[in-house]
Amino acid sequence: MDCQCCNKKPARIRICDVEESAIEEQLNVCPDCFNLIKRYMFDMNKPLMTTVDVIAEVQGLLTASGETALATLPEAGGITPVKSAPVPACPECGITLSEFRAKGRFGCRRDYEVFAEHLDPLLERIHDVQPARHEGRLPASAGRIEVVEKQLSLTDLRKRLAAAVAEENYEAAARLRDQINELEKQPKLGKTGE
Amino acid sequence: MSETTFEGFPHLLGEWLKGTGPDADVVISTRVRFARNVQGYPFTGRASEQQRSDVLKVCEDALKEIHLDRSVVNIELDKIEDRKREVLVERHLISRELANGEGPRGVTFGRGEMLSIMLNEEDHLRLQWIKSGFDVDRAYKALCKIDRALETVIPYATSDRYGYLTACPTNVGTGMRVSVMVHLPALTLKENIDYVFKAAQRMNHAVRGLYGEGTRAFGDMYQISNQTTLGRSEEQIVEAIKAIVPKILEFERQRRGQLYTEERSFVEDKVLRSLALMRSARRLNVQEMMSHLSMLRLGIDLGIINDVPMRTVNELFILGQPSHLQVNEGRDLPPAERDTLRADLVRSRLSAGTN
Repeated sequence: MDCQCCNKKPARIRICDVEESAIEEQLNVCPDCFNLIKRYMFDMNKPLMTTVDVIAEVQGLLTASGETALATLPEAGGITPVKSAPVPACPECGITLSEFRAKGRFGCRRDYEVFAEHLDPLLERIHDVQPARHEGRLPASAGRIEVVEKQLSLTDLRKRLAAAVAEENYEAAARLRDQINELEKQPKLGKTGE
Repeated sequence: MSETTFEGFPHLLGEWLKGTGPDADVVISTRVRFARNVQGYPFTGRASEQQRSDVLKVCEDALKEIHLDRSVVNIELDKIEDRKREVLVERHLISRELANGEGPRGVTFGRGEMLSIMLNEEDHLRLQWIKSGFDVDRAYKALCKIDRALETVIPYATSDRYGYLTACPTNVGTGMRVSVMVHLPALTLKENIDYVFKAAQRMNHAVRGLYGEGTRAFGDMYQISNQTTLGRSEEQIVEAIKAIVPKILEFERQRRGQLYTEERSFVEDKVLRSLALMRSARRLNVQEMMSHLSMLRLGIDLGIINDVPMRTVNELFILGQPSHLQVNEGRDLPPAERDTLRADLVRSRLSAGTN
């Protein structure tokens, strides 16, 4: 069988895309193309792609100005960090971009802001839409997010305080009490609507 | 709202199995679901045990506040046996993912089994409404009522840019999935199914097996659903499915007609052999049962079988599943024993004169 990437050399390696533990796609390639594909796949500057998409891009490189284009790829086995600054982890849930890519699931809603820049190409492809923007309704209360958030975090803190006291963890309790006092000092946001 | 009233439930069957509603000759049911998350908590996959039980509490309180607690069954899934969770999966009330999940999680469903709310699945809330037949508008409207009531008491995680925020980027935006469960025996017999898959995919719709992603299409049952949730409004998603599904239904009906007019003895033989086998078999495995039930459904629609109601066939599809048999027996059964029980059930339901 010929390589499904360059269509020239004999295929020696099979690449499988696995989703939900089921094999989605299988492609047979030669070792040379495999090296290129590997470099492409581990390029953290690019959104997560299916093998078919990667091969399409590698084929593009092979036909276009070969050498110069190839030079833009990270080194083979490219788990070594790429040149651009690493994307910081989400300050709220601590998830990193590569963790998200490995699992395909976000950790919290903040990730959508933190990784926004890397997200749009992915969302555009998944949802076959450009630009990747929401259409249609949102909850009527969406404008009050800040208010709700503040109340929630206060309730949260109070709950944690109670738990800390119950566990006789007075150090944590003192810290939580300070946080609660701090939050309560801030000017109250007026309730809108209702 | 906290009582676990599981006992007795496996004997009652949901509205969506009654075999009525628009296009019931091909469509079993229409389901609409919304994925929602509570602001202020990480998504379930990254939430601690404590955060998960807090989310559960927030949601349960909210359901009480919108007065959903009077006519619903509420089950804490981490506190019931495996086979009972499996029954809920077989009944399409919860996903396999939720059944196999961990930590505090639950389901609340209406007694007619049209409404079901999964708590702490991949998203904090998965609301779904199932209607018998092809009835997107009514399922959508019914579910909207619940969702719009809940949003006044639960602060949903949303953003202007991406809409309703979900754990998986494939659900973000509207968080809405419309799934239509269809029975396509003629397209399967005539080997046109691949064509349907590809055509649906080109229009951003997926065709999957009976129990969702990655499952096989037993009994020629398939689910057609929208693949994309971002950049299209809820109404657009509804309109798209209303444009695509009827085309598939027409295709199936045309092939059924063709089978009946051009290959009458072939289709009659298949249907009547299935009926005879099911009325005599002493052991039936689940796959066998489903493929013969599929032929029965086809036979009823083509008028080859007149003494079996559609509802009986639809119900057997569910009641003959492994965990339904086991829960009705009150214990785990080895496969051979299940096959015997399944054959007994099928024979008694299909015996002439009982319907």
